[in-house]
Amino acid sequence: MDEWKPNPAVKPHKKRSWYLAWKYKLMNQRTLRKLCQTGAVLFLLVTVIVNIKLILDTRRAAYEEEEESAQDYDDELLNVEVPRHPVSNKKVLDVEVYSSRSKVYVAVDGTTVLEDEAREQGRGIHVIVLNQATGHVMAKRVFDTYSPHEDEAMVLFLNMVARGRILIFTIKDEGSFHLKDTAKNVLKSLGSQVAPFLSWRDMWTFVGKKGGELYGEKHAKSPALSTWGDPVLLKTEVHLTSVEDAECRWPDTELNRRRKRFCSKVEGYGSVCSCKDPTPIEFNPDPLKDNKVFDVPVAVIAGNRPNYLYRMLRSLLSAQGVNPQMITVFIDGYYEEPMDVVELFGLSGIQHTPISIKNARVSQHYKASLTATFNLFPDAKFAVVLEEDLDISVDFFSFLSQSIHLLEEDESLYCISAWNDQGYEHTAEDPSLLYRVETMPGLGWVLRKSLYKDELEPKWPTPEKLWDWDMWMRMPEQRKGRECIIPDISRSYHFGIVGLNMNGYFHEAYFKKHKFNTVPNVQLKNVESLRKDAYETEIHRLLGEAEVLDHSKNPCEDSFVPDTEGRVYVMFIRMEQEADFTTWTQLAKCLHIWDLDVRGNHKGLWRLFRKKNHFLVVGVPASPYSSKKPSSVTPIYMEPPAKEEGAVAVPAVAAAEQT
Amino acid sequence: MQKINKNVVLALLSVTSLVFLLFQLYYYKFYLSQKNGAVFSKVRGSQSGQDSTRWHVVRKFLGLIASHNIPVYLIDPLILGLVDKDIEQIRSSPDGPTPECKYFCTPRDFTTFALLDKTWKHEVGLFRTAEKMGFQWLKIINKDPRLDGMDDLSGVEIPLHYIFKLASHAIHLVVFYERSGNYLWHGPLRLKQHMDRKFVPFRKLHFGRYPGAYEKPELLLVSIDDLKVQIPKNPSNFLEEMSHSRFLECRYREARAFFQLYPDDASLDAVEFRKKAKSLLHLAALTLNNLGVKFWLSSGTCLGWYRQCNVIPYSKDVDLGVFIRDYKADIIPAFQKAGLPLKHKFGKVEDSLELSFQGEGDIKLDIFFFYEEDDHIWNGGTQAKSGKKFKYLFPKFTLCWTEFVELKVHVPCETLQYVEANYGPDWKVPVKMWDWKSSPSNVQYNGVWPVDEWDDVIQIY
Repeated sequence: MDEWKPNPAVKPHKKRSWYLAWKYKLMNQRTLRKLCQTGAVLFLLVTVIVNIKLILDTRRAAYEEEEESAQDYDDELLNVEVPRHPVSNKKVLDVEVYSSRSKVYVAVDGTTVLEDEAREQGRGIHVIVLNQATGHVMAKRVFDTYSPHEDEAMVLFLNMVARGRILIFTIKDEGSFHLKDTAKNVLKSLGSQVAPFLSWRDMWTFVGKKGGELYGEKHAKSPALSTWGDPVLLKTEVHLTSVEDAECRWPDTELNRRRKRFCSKVEGYGSVCSCKDPTPIEFNPDPLKDNKVFDVPVAVIAGNRPNYLYRMLRSLLSAQGVNPQMITVFIDGYYEEPMDVVELFGLSGIQHTPISIKNARVSQHYKASLTATFNLFPDAKFAVVLEEDLDISVDFFSFLSQSIHLLEEDESLYCISAWNDQGYEHTAEDPSLLYRVETMPGLGWVLRKSLYKDELEPKWPTPEKLWDWDMWMRMPEQRKGRECIIPDISRSYHFGIVGLNMNGYFHEAYFKKHKFNTVPNVQLKNVESLRKDAYETEIHRLLGEAEVLDHSKNPCEDSFVPDTEGRVYVMFIRMEQEADFTTWTQLAKCLHIWDLDVRGNHKGLWRLFRKKNHFLVVGVPASPYSSKKPSSVTPIYMEPPAKEEGAVAVPAVAAAEQT
Repeated sequence: MQKINKNVVLALLSVTSLVFLLFQLYYYKFYLSQKNGAVFSKVRGSQSGQDSTRWHVVRKFLGLIASHNIPVYLIDPLILGLVDKDIEQIRSSPDGPTPECKYFCTPRDFTTFALLDKTWKHEVGLFRTAEKMGFQWLKIINKDPRLDGMDDLSGVEIPLHYIFKLASHAIHLVVFYERSGNYLWHGPLRLKQHMDRKFVPFRKLHFGRYPGAYEKPELLLVSIDDLKVQIPKNPSNFLEEMSHSRFLECRYREARAFFQLYPDDASLDAVEFRKKAKSLLHLAALTLNNLGVKFWLSSGTCLGWYRQCNVIPYSKDVDLGVFIRDYKADIIPAFQKAGLPLKHKFGKVEDSLELSFQGEGDIKLDIFFFYEEDDHIWNGGTQAKSGKKFKYLFPKFTLCWTEFVELKVHVPCETLQYVEANYGPDWKVPVKMWDWKSSPSNVQYNGVWPVDEWDDVIQIY
């Protein structure tokens, strides 16, 4: 081919196709061909380079963008680890239960969920409820069935537990003395074979499913009255069910989702978790017309009494005119269950790291809660302060709505309280009547922001002072001669039996018989007469029309007050100076009203009801109303009882009503 | 045949690679443009299509929030800027139909709305409806700053920002909270670790780089581009406010550490002083704000804020700083009218001006005027008996909002430098004996006032 030379003279062969011609032409231009080839290779190379560059650039750009979008907007707390719960698909739980005289414990899959070896504590039957699908502890209770009535509480509790839950029982020390047949039968119905025969100082452990299987039971009989049964250790396996089986099939709504979350975590709240027809968790009470307290924040002060909190929030959310958005629950401590209750009702809750101990802890919790309330609602002029162990009257907000303007306008007031310290079943009568009193009752009250911010907050007792916040608030330095407005019939009811300063006996004596308003929409009468000067006029009018009782009779006797209705009576007691409450205390004692310290007084005057008559007590000569005493009447003097008694009773429970 | 193949293959390869190259170049260019421009426009539609998408997304969003009765208002700086130009016309014809899509169709990645926290219940229903309408959404929650000052409270985290994304447009919903001091606050936007960093180009958001503080705006319902929407009554004021809205939270944690080291003075005197200082500061803020004079916490008051989030009980006075360019002759009469008589006046407007007013119960209110130079800012001091002048130098600073004793006030954003300039590196240690002529680490001797000027530059009442 190389030697081939074109001969221009020669005509091209006709047979030659155009292709061959072109081919020869190309062959002819060798350099051109080479060039083309090189060009193509170069071209390919360029493509590769561009390709690589593109890849690099894209990567860089993408990386940069990631950096960029991150930089300023990254959360600083990157190292916070998300707690990861091990996802166990385990279907079987190992349960260990131990019962003995001085120690009980329960371990689920090696984790101790109950351990009690404290001396002189935790006697009786310990009950633990586990979720049958997850194995989580849903409730832990101890019923001291050595003592009376505790078995009834246990039956009540066991009845509230949903079917299918796993129940674990163990006895510490003694649990049979007051375990009646009803309770034994309930235990039997749960599958226990031993329960009906449990006797004095027996040791007993039992694991079963409510309404189903028995997983294990062990029992050690006490050989003699003076000795205990041998310790028993029960090891058993519990088969878990699927989550679907453990849950109720409620319609999928926002409310039911809250309910589901709650019911899968805790037990012992009764019908709120029943699959059929559960108790509502939203109440929608009637709104109040012209509600002046709709925008007033409500602070609920709580500790670790979730069952109380549950009851309290139910009553609060059922009160007419309630505004759930303004409610904040302040929990003293990182307790889960109270928070679960708060979330069940869709309210907001705030937890508080406990500071200090006992009364000072409560006091610090109050301070933090009040400060936080006014921070969260900066344009609020007032805050309603409630506690977790109060029932709230249906007309609580209506009562406040009608009276709150007084707190705003009358400088001589420092609170409105829903609680009348002296308002017992037999001493309170008129739901529309209000009083002015010098002692702050607390237990559901309204605080003015300016009072808190300007006066109380800056000098609130510091954590090392073991004071009761309410006692401190009642001190003259804080009160500065101001008064509180209270209703005759309380708008709150103190149901707490367990508490820092509270026990069953004390509750029975001082709180159980307290009157509580259940009438909705009570129209308060004569609210304007509660203003400082108007109130004096009102009192003078009242004293003017009051009939003086027969001072020769014993004021403790029922016959002291005539058998009438709707009359106004007055009696005069001896009160040498402003702080002389000797006779009053004795009178209060025999009338079975609050006598642990002085409550409910206004310038040496007490107002209450006896036999449906308004009953006024005036302390002479300290009270400015002494002038109303006819000269013929000698004020009654009552001797305090022997010294020791009084001295023991008062300091022990003086501050008793809080928490 | 072999040779033919070789050539054909080469030619084919070249053509392919050419096509490939062109495609890549195009893609490359497209990618870059995407970075600088509209990230969302993955599919490049016609310009008008893009515009109307934005309008449609905004309309859908407004429908969504209206169906849940959530009152939002427009705070998008871009749109408010446009609206502001035609504000008269928009105000006068609230219902007038607009011929063209003038505002909501402007090219941008986001439309920003504000929501007052207290006007809505945090409900899940909103997000369900949003999802049904095709929105993707992102919620940014964080600690509640209103509880931050309280060491031991832990509340629920609160929502600070929401982003709703639909097609190529996103709605940024900023949640405003009312705080003590009668102002609105919005939080910073911080992504948690697990969050999608590319959900939207976060850097381009107008709100969220820093927290911000705003006055409560007056709102106006207007109809723009046939959409009814609430806007701040005075958009230009709002935009101006926005440009320096940055908010600094007090350093509560450090303050707590400080009080651990040096327990707070809880005596009655201290309580009383704090109360008076607080009310003096409130009165001063009211007076200066009414005059439109911008001021900030200075000296001891600033140190108190920065170090312990409170008034230093032994500081004996309240110190404020004002730029001399903001000086107004009305300041003195205004304070006198507010019940704060002038105690002394040192210096003159041109040099080292300083005013002192007598507050209630022996507390002094000092207003120092600051002079800006190229590379520093300074204020002056005068010793009354000798006529000596002093100069206190500070590095340049800008102003941020903060909350102090239930008041929204300015502090230097670069607070640490400011405090260090004034009090030296040991500012963390309380010093009760303070001599303003020698103790500050930034003091310079600045000569003596000429004797003939003394009557003017040293006035003591």
